[in-house]
Amino acid sequence: MTGPVDVQIGKPPEEGDGQRRIGVFICHCGGNISDYVDVAAVRDALKDEPGVVVAETTMFACSDGTQHDMIDQIREQGLDGLVVASCSPKLHQITFRGVSKRADLNPYAYTQVNIREQDSWAHGDDPDGATQKAINLVRAGIGRTRNSEPLVPLVVETTPATMVVGAGIAGMRAAIGLADTGLQVYLVEREPEVGGWAGRFGAMFPNDRSGREQIAALTEQVSRRSSITVLTGAQLVGKSGSFGNYEAVVEVAGDPPETIRATVGSIIIATGFDSYEPENGEFGYGIDGVLTLPEFKELVDAAGGGTLVHLGRPVRSIAYVYCVGSRQPGGNEYCSKFCCAATAHASILVSALDPQIRQFHLNRGVRTYGKYELMYTQARENGAVYMTYPDDTPPSVEQGRDGRLAVTTTDTLTGGREVTIPADLVVLVTGMVPRANTGLTDLLKLPVGDDGFYNEIHPKLRPVETVVDGVMVAGSCQGPKTATESVASGMAAVAQSAAILKKGVAELDPLVATVHVDDCTGCGECLTTCPYDAISTRDAGGRTVAEVSAAVCKGCGGCVPLCPTAALDLLGYTDAQMTAMIDSLVEVPVS
Amino acid sequence: MKYDVMVVGSGIAGMESSIKLGDMGYKVLLVEKEASVGGRMILLSKVFPTLDCASCISGPKMSSTINHPNVHTMTYAEVEQIRRGEDGRFTAAVKQKSTFVDWAACTGCSDCQMACTVAVPDQFNADLVPRHAAYIPFPQAVPKKAVIERAGTSPCIASCPAGIKAHGYVSLIRSGKYEEAFQLVLEATPLVGTLGRACYAPCESECTRSLLEGTIPIRRLKRFVADLHYGDGRGPGVDVAEANGFKVAIVGTGPAGLTAAWQLARAGYQVTMFDSAAKAGGFLRHAIPQYRLPHDVVDQDVANVTAIGVEIRTNHAVHDLEALKAEGYDAVLVATGTPRSMALGVPGQDATGVHTGLKFLRRVSEDDLPSIAGKRVVVVGGGNVAMDAARTARRLGSADVRVAYRRGREEMPAHSVEVDEAEMEGVAFEFLVAPVEVLSDASGAVTGLRCQRMRLGEADASGRRRPEPVPGSDFVLECEVVVSAVGMEPDDEPYEKVTGDARGHRIKVDPLTLQSDVDYIFAAGDVETGASDITHAVGHGRRAAYMIDAWLHGRELAGFPLFDDPLGVVDHESVLARQQSYTHRAPVRPGTQHSANPVGFDELEPAMTEAEALAGSGSCLDCGVCSECQECVRACPADAIKLDMHDHQVEVEVGAVVVSTGYKLFAADLKPEYGYGQYPNVITGMQMDRLLAPTRPFNTILRPGDGKVPDRIAYISCTGSRDKQVGNPLCSKLCCMYSIKQNQLIMGSLPLADVTMHYMDMRAAGKRYDEFYEQAKDMGATYIKGRVSKVTELENGDLRLRYEDIENGGDIVEAEYDLVVLAVGIQPNRDVERLFTGEKLRLDEYYYVAEPSEELEPGQTTIPGVFVAGTAAGAKDIVDSILHAGAAVAQVAAHLTQSEISEVVPV
Repeated sequence: MTGPVDVQIGKPPEEGDGQRRIGVFICHCGGNISDYVDVAAVRDALKDEPGVVVAETTMFACSDGTQHDMIDQIREQGLDGLVVASCSPKLHQITFRGVSKRADLNPYAYTQVNIREQDSWAHGDDPDGATQKAINLVRAGIGRTRNSEPLVPLVVETTPATMVVGAGIAGMRAAIGLADTGLQVYLVEREPEVGGWAGRFGAMFPNDRSGREQIAALTEQVSRRSSITVLTGAQLVGKSGSFGNYEAVVEVAGDPPETIRATVGSIIIATGFDSYEPENGEFGYGIDGVLTLPEFKELVDAAGGGTLVHLGRPVRSIAYVYCVGSRQPGGNEYCSKFCCAATAHASILVSALDPQIRQFHLNRGVRTYGKYELMYTQARENGAVYMTYPDDTPPSVEQGRDGRLAVTTTDTLTGGREVTIPADLVVLVTGMVPRANTGLTDLLKLPVGDDGFYNEIHPKLRPVETVVDGVMVAGSCQGPKTATESVASGMAAVAQSAAILKKGVAELDPLVATVHVDDCTGCGECLTTCPYDAISTRDAGGRTVAEVSAAVCKGCGGCVPLCPTAALDLLGYTDAQMTAMIDSLVEVPVS
Repeated sequence: MKYDVMVVGSGIAGMESSIKLGDMGYKVLLVEKEASVGGRMILLSKVFPTLDCASCISGPKMSSTINHPNVHTMTYAEVEQIRRGEDGRFTAAVKQKSTFVDWAACTGCSDCQMACTVAVPDQFNADLVPRHAAYIPFPQAVPKKAVIERAGTSPCIASCPAGIKAHGYVSLIRSGKYEEAFQLVLEATPLVGTLGRACYAPCESECTRSLLEGTIPIRRLKRFVADLHYGDGRGPGVDVAEANGFKVAIVGTGPAGLTAAWQLARAGYQVTMFDSAAKAGGFLRHAIPQYRLPHDVVDQDVANVTAIGVEIRTNHAVHDLEALKAEGYDAVLVATGTPRSMALGVPGQDATGVHTGLKFLRRVSEDDLPSIAGKRVVVVGGGNVAMDAARTARRLGSADVRVAYRRGREEMPAHSVEVDEAEMEGVAFEFLVAPVEVLSDASGAVTGLRCQRMRLGEADASGRRRPEPVPGSDFVLECEVVVSAVGMEPDDEPYEKVTGDARGHRIKVDPLTLQSDVDYIFAAGDVETGASDITHAVGHGRRAAYMIDAWLHGRELAGFPLFDDPLGVVDHESVLARQQSYTHRAPVRPGTQHSANPVGFDELEPAMTEAEALAGSGSCLDCGVCSECQECVRACPADAIKLDMHDHQVEVEVGAVVVSTGYKLFAADLKPEYGYGQYPNVITGMQMDRLLAPTRPFNTILRPGDGKVPDRIAYISCTGSRDKQVGNPLCSKLCCMYSIKQNQLIMGSLPLADVTMHYMDMRAAGKRYDEFYEQAKDMGATYIKGRVSKVTELENGDLRLRYEDIENGGDIVEAEYDLVVLAVGIQPNRDVERLFTGEKLRLDEYYYVAEPSEELEPGQTTIPGVFVAGTAAGAKDIVDSILHAGAAVAQVAAHLTQSEISEVVPV
């Protein structure tokens, strides 16, 4: 079914009255908006607003068909302003600026009004209120567009270089990928050695290839590429400039520490994860023989095909306790995703060492998704016993008088019986936690989710980009991932970097401060407040006036309210625009 | 054409790859087999775990793809083969399938879709509802252009020598468009009423339904609409082109001449027809008895022709074709048929009481009834004229009628229905009998026919076994009347000296163009082919009109596209194979009463009732999918429908290939214990996604069996996954999550409904996935660990599930639900296997595209320069598919940069 599309054409402005010709499109979002907001009522309330020439509702404003319709309307009706009331500008501001450009309408005469996240989703319990709010928000958007001035994006040449922060498996592979597309690469690693977690391990799932060998292969590949500069024991400590031309400052450990400056077009953050460190006593952690998953993996690797030994004694039985540090209400609530498969893999390795070793997997549902399911099957075929414990009754780990470990668990499969399993080793299947990276996070102003991992802009639309232009995230710093998935996301970040840098130029929003020279008294107040040193003074016919460097200005607007003579304005958010918006929001104008 | 990269498949991974590669400055060719880009994601409701609507994410990507300056998209196209050359570049053949719509003109208005009379399962709605054969894939399709689905020419149409769109009018009739159905036949010929009665209906022999319970009554459906139309007495109701100044003379007013006149007059020609008889119609009037074809029907059909300005000069024999030219006719069409009976060729053939079949029938047609009452009649011959003569003789009060034929029943050229009906009307048959002499008495009146027995020898040139006399087998059939119907031939008197004769006194013309050596003289019908039947004559008349039109307008006389360049005919097996289920349809039988002693010439076959017409036409299987009913052609405001379009192949050269061919959903009927396909209220997850989507078919969630809004909904996870019984031990990864998503959406949409999911392990593995699962639990969804062993349907359509309740004591439990949703998993799309020739693209043991070094080289396949993106390489959700596509893009960029084989330097 096609959604309702109503067209209402308002009265054309009187000849030569200088009125704007604005098109307003109000989106149903397939019900996301229209289930709560009466979009037709919004249109009817606004179709006679000053300057509004076209007011339409549409099922999906972002669909190709509606985009074409907008372009046709802009051309046929000679529109000089566009307002789309739909979702967050994070999603589709770029989309509709693109529509404007294709219709030869200045993209900055476009205003996106968010009536979804900030209205229909928030006020599902009050449709009438949501509709009234939508009317006010859209009216404000119309006010902003009505007072808009055509702006031209700042075009800057970009530097064909990328800095990769973190030389784990994802970062190293990304560095190679960047170099192979012709970009200069700075690979910055905090540790003295590259390789990260994978470099510590032997055989890894799913194909039993050694982590150490894979890192060695990557190291060799990196060394063969002269366009990659590897900085170990190094940290990114400073960043200035803007997307396309960031000035990065790297401090390399040493005596004395060395400071390296590099100009890069983009930055890929691939700082990885930390393994969850259990509290002392958590599931018996601290007792000899209670190991975390990475500790256990190193133990298995160390057996080197021989006997699995712990503290000099051969291991005859192992109990694995799953979801330690993951899926814990009040703690880390997320699922670490890789651990079920990693543990199944470790279990298979143990069986290969000695099929007689008894293995008990105390789990909360086994999440060996996709092809990893085969490892789960293999582990069970090898004789491993999988027992599911209820979410609210975790196993307990104790050390008996003989020094042996005993794990007591409730086994769902046997009707909730309590079972005590003696074990030589207890492996706490620990998940991933975000790395402590406060310095880097603050430096780059990286967005962090409530789980502590870095957030992408949108998991499907812009999965490796962050809200900081030109700064991307890859690998498990973004959330738990397997090594294979981390590499894939690192490569996706390569593609994104190359897509923006290989053009050679980048367009920056011209939403920067500007000076009304006639009003400026040259008092210098603004110079002191700019955190980016973007304002200087110049001579204007014998008068000293302020001047803003568009390339340096971030558009923060901090200077505007300080100006005693209101000589500063922020393009795109001018006083006239903001006043019009506020007026629209606070009063119901008489139409 | 050269591109840097070819991307095969435009699902989310293919679009992502194309956009990113295009952003880097590479020239990309994106090939998609459906008419719209977007793959499966655009068909979903919302997507986990953010609950963005799928359209809000996929829609703009579709738009970006199609509008990207560096991406050329070919939709409704299929890669036929890709071959890697020695230089590392690839050559590929891409088939652009015919859309039968001129996309440059199509505005996506969907008028064709609304007008279309064919309904087939809508694959874009997971077969929940039908779509039309003319369709825009879905409301947000990009490009938003219509396609006419044509599997080929339907067998009924392909078998019609008259080129009549049988499937088309059947389809129109079932849609209640009776006049349109009449008009569709009228497009071909004015003889709608005639063909509705006297046609031997080769279409019905080819009807795919005849392989099931019986053919669709195609011929009688035509009569149904003809009777309706003529009942109104409003004339043909067609448009005639403005006069073009040309004059054409047509000699003969049989089916070929009338059809040609109709076609030419509609095209603006001034047409004059000539006939030696007192009334027009030729054999339709003078050979076919009225019990089969009443004269008033012939009159109605002929009136179509005169109504549009054709002048018919009867009692006007033409002896001089050249004179017609001199009179100002620009072209002359000879359509004089085969009026001459062949002589019996035995002694005594001139005795009183010997008739030729044609004269015998003509006299009856002119009400000059031969007096044969009480006489014994022998009809010699085995063709349709013999049958007509024999049955006519029965109606004239003859004592008895015997048909003597020199071969056996199987060899009779007469249509078997005619033979059967003759038999039912008391006609006796003497097979393998040939006349030797007509016996007569002193007055010269027939007393009998001396015959000899025959036996069948070797096959002759016609493939039939040649009869040979059995020596000494003479005997006498006593009779007073002999009707000789042993063949007929043209009368070559008007043309013999002008154009020359072909074999058997036929006129000599080019069989393709129907033009004679005298350029203005054309011929059509039996005069050129020898005795055939009405449909062939009609087809010939159309061809002649086409050729005359072409010749007079100075166009080259090549083939007649209608007959010489049709779409390949659909074979019955493929039609039967694509049916998802059959409903037994009782065939509509004629119900003709045959008397062993027929009296009078009233029409035998009763008319069809409207109910019969709807039942009969409603059984059509839509063999060719599109019925060629032409409704879309009439409806299209842009004149964009081009049903004569042909597939064409495009050769391209590319530097790298991205395979993003996606996956197939598990066919849930392979788990018969869950009842999918048997129980209407068992649906798949994809179907539920359609029920939830903004563009959903019913605008609510309902169960398909009875339309009830369900109160109790159960999910069965791992349908077709983690299941060695169906050969798939893998986890499909996305089914748990889409089920949880649907659980939440259902609870939002039906707040009072109970939602339960029966699962094995909850694979909520991904960023914010487990939180999403917890959220569903908090909203009130119930999750029961344990596999469902069986689904049983109750009388009211509800479903009973039997399962082990692992977490509550492990008992075997039964529970009843209104609706069951099978969380079907994914299967490899094995279409990739045939993409590459020469070098083989290696698949893994589960038939996904192998990534031999997946850990460090995601997207890399076994062929250098070929990369895989998304689920073609294994189960992935959307987020992982997008990331994987990004990896494939990085691989492509590195490959093109490193091998420096890219012709285009990235901007």
